[in-house]
Amino acid sequence: MTVMQRVDDPMEMPVPTTEVAGVPVSELGRVKLETRHLNLYYGDHLAVADAGFVALENRITAIIGPSGCGKSTLLRSLNRINDLIPGFRIDGEVLLDGRDITGDDIDVIALRRRMGMLFQRPNPFPTSVYDNVAYGLRLAGRMSRADLDAVVERSLRRVVLWDEVKDRLKHSALGLSGGQQQRLCLARALAVEPSVILMDEPCSSLDPIATLRIEELMRELRGTVTMVIVTHNMQQATRVSDVTAFMLAGERRTGELVETGPTADLFSKPRDRRTEDYISGRFG
Amino acid sequence: MTESGLHPLRAEFDTLLRAVRDEVSEMGDLVECGIARAMWGLAERSVDLCNAVIEDDLRVNELQRLVRDNSFSILLREAPVATDLREVMSHLHIAAELERMGDHCVSIAKLARVLVDIPERGPGVDLDSMASLCREQVREMLGAVVGRDVDRARQVAARDDRIDRVYHRVFDDLIQRMIADGDYVYRGTNLVFIAHHLERIADRVTNIAEDLVFLETGVIEELG
Repeated sequence: MTVMQRVDDPMEMPVPTTEVAGVPVSELGRVKLETRHLNLYYGDHLAVADAGFVALENRITAIIGPSGCGKSTLLRSLNRINDLIPGFRIDGEVLLDGRDITGDDIDVIALRRRMGMLFQRPNPFPTSVYDNVAYGLRLAGRMSRADLDAVVERSLRRVVLWDEVKDRLKHSALGLSGGQQQRLCLARALAVEPSVILMDEPCSSLDPIATLRIEELMRELRGTVTMVIVTHNMQQATRVSDVTAFMLAGERRTGELVETGPTADLFSKPRDRRTEDYISGRFG
Repeated sequence: MTESGLHPLRAEFDTLLRAVRDEVSEMGDLVECGIARAMWGLAERSVDLCNAVIEDDLRVNELQRLVRDNSFSILLREAPVATDLREVMSHLHIAAELERMGDHCVSIAKLARVLVDIPERGPGVDLDSMASLCREQVREMLGAVVGRDVDRARQVAARDDRIDRVYHRVFDDLIQRMIADGDYVYRGTNLVFIAHHLERIADRVTNIAEDLVFLETGVIEELG
């Protein structure tokens, strides 16, 4: 059974148990993604321990923390892209719309179509701008040229790239600037109508203007897509996210989720001393 | 000021934060001294003392400017969050309160200067005990700010009603005297204003208590 067939039956959904800042998540919004007692291993090394992560539907959730705390590992386990790493192992549950997606019976291709991903460096395919956006649609099945054109245009408009590339749709995507390439990758992800987009430091290779464009896009997509963003940039987390999760690695380099809360609360009155020390730059 | 909440990796931030703390602390000392000197000037009929209060207020104003400058630099360059952000916001507000308290001291000094040549008629009203309570409130609150002691701040704020009670007694006393003696109206009216300025200073002490509660807890709370 694929994920596509499993979801969106509210009557069967278990009630989420996680709390955010002491408030049951059900009071903050509908839970789109949730992990329960999630342990992530690279071989024998426990990289993330007992993570109870929550992302609310159509909201932006930021994951912050120092290097090596397991932020990206957690993010990449949400759409099981870590499955591609030899020795990687998941123990615990990752619930998408209340359904565990860690099992062997899950169609991971369909799962990743529902959960698009943006990486640290833009990674357009070495094809034309048009073909980059159309790629996922073509994989999904036959579509008329007119329909394909319409979806490509709509996707490029959603990322405010259409006016910049409409006259060079057949040109190589590699000729675009870094910021344009990243927006193209976002358009490529959006073309297949994902319900979640995972972003792993999507602005770290971009200049400040390109960064602000991506952040603006995130705000525009908020309300229609669930977004989870890993970022080192705490100002960015403050600017764009609704909820922030703070992770920290202990002595054995095992990451844990220290605190999750509404972003305004976490950055103004964090509940855990370790969060306060990290966001205030008191580590050292 | 205590050295709490400093940052091992952010020397420039700590330099600015220390400067703001020290400036606020000095403002507080000057205000407490200003109350004492203005009331002393009134009692001693000393124009020099009154002028000294007015002179000192220039330093209070300058310190507030420095607090604003340094706070602006912190906000611009250091992007403070959490307790650091609340501290900057609280100190900005505390400095504004102290600057206004300094203005009240100046107003008292100016009124006292006017009264230098106007004789008292009968026993003096109980302004001294009001001023002494007022100074105590300022001193205690500064101690609470320096020690980041929220409980102490709440206790000080709770004592504001003592000053209100004395204020109402002084006010009624002065009104009665002015009703009874028309020649007392000029002096009496000026003393009413002085009492009012003292009462306003004490009210601002309560505002500072609220700033300290916000600094330490992140909660905006109405005290008093």
